[in-house]
Amino acid sequence: MRINVKVNGRSYARDVEAHKTLLRFLREDLGLTGTKEGCGAGECGACTVILDGRTVNSCMVLAAETDGSSIETIEGEAREGRLSEIQEAFDRHHAVQCGFCTGGMVMSVRDLLVRKPKPTVEEIKEGIEGNFCRCTGYQQIIEAVLDASGQGAGPGALKIVDDGRRGHV
Amino acid sequence: MLHEFDYASPSSREELHELLARHGKSAKLLAGGTDLLVNIRAGLSRPALVIDVKKVREFKGITWSAAEGLVIRPAVTINEVLADKVVKERFPLLAECAHDLASYQIRNRATVIGNVVNASPCSDMAPALLCLGAKAVISSKRGEREIPFSQFFKGVKKTVLAEDELLERIVVPASSSGARGAYRKLKRINGHDLGIVGVALMRKDDRVSLGISSSAPTPVLVEGLGEGDEEAKVVAAARAAISPISDVRCSKEYREFMVETYVRRLLAEVK
Repeated sequence: MRINVKVNGRSYARDVEAHKTLLRFLREDLGLTGTKEGCGAGECGACTVILDGRTVNSCMVLAAETDGSSIETIEGEAREGRLSEIQEAFDRHHAVQCGFCTGGMVMSVRDLLVRKPKPTVEEIKEGIEGNFCRCTGYQQIIEAVLDASGQGAGPGALKIVDDGRRGHV
Repeated sequence: MLHEFDYASPSSREELHELLARHGKSAKLLAGGTDLLVNIRAGLSRPALVIDVKKVREFKGITWSAAEGLVIRPAVTINEVLADKVVKERFPLLAECAHDLASYQIRNRATVIGNVVNASPCSDMAPALLCLGAKAVISSKRGEREIPFSQFFKGVKKTVLAEDELLERIVVPASSSGARGAYRKLKRINGHDLGIVGVALMRKDDRVSLGISSSAPTPVLVEGLGEGDEEAKVVAAARAAISPISDVRCSKEYREFMVETYVRRLLAEVK
């Protein structure tokens, strides 16, 4: 079936198979491979993109569902060769190690900062709860988000204490 | 990779009913897709036709009126429930359960109705809906019928829905407006996870109700308790209503212990 979508401000009209996910459409049909497949089941968030202003796991959306939609992916972050403020903050704080989660992580942070321009540490944790990072650790990422939102915190300045909470026990 | 299937996105309920009447046996309804597409990917579901319900005009939005109560339609996402002022003011228990469901981006997509029709024993929305005395309005080309939620679930992943039917509206009665309540969900990690057990407790007038997930083949409602009842009686009623199993997440005994623990804590916390 034919779909018309806008991705990072550019319009595309493409024929897609009904069973193709948005993730595969972005990667295989549009060549936008910054969006990654981690688990394919909504656990890890590596495939997070912004669909009509809301973050979604693109592995759990059909391309067919997005006809007429506007989509933002990690490729839309840098403009004219310049990193976005979020990307620069991730760089400054070493919030990237292997980088596999970073594309999705940055999209969740982008959305969080639209909703909450000055998020607290708790709000940042909730904002990225659907994005797993398995190597950097979250402390540098949280620092980067505080920094990108103009809340100071130079690299290593933030000491996040594990409060030991596990669920509601 | 997903297997090949056809996709339809009807714009009216009549069109949808017609599709279900014709293809109900081999079709699956798609709302948020956060359960369906995972099941398709895992090969657990192999529909020939996927019917998207989100474009149906009448299926959008939450409405509230004293006459009708709170009406939740098929395209309403979990985050829409969380953002709704009426829910926050009149039905805080719904928001409590919604907040504990999965991750932020899943809540952007997952729907309340999808969460209940999936009929998982660990449904997070069911405990609130059971406590609040919600009704399920079921429709098909043949007409409409209404049942209390306590009769909606028939087993693990099984509901009363026939092949040509859908759950078109959830109606939370106005008489439950103002009920106090809270939900406690035990998870393996502090972030998003399926529940090990979940307990919702509601107080309204002199009544105390419990909605319990992940502790029986279906979410369970415990009714008939009152403000005068001692803690031991409420705990015993909860224990009598559940029949947990041991599985990959924990043992049967731990589930029983944690349901009791949460009931005790909620009795003290919800005033």
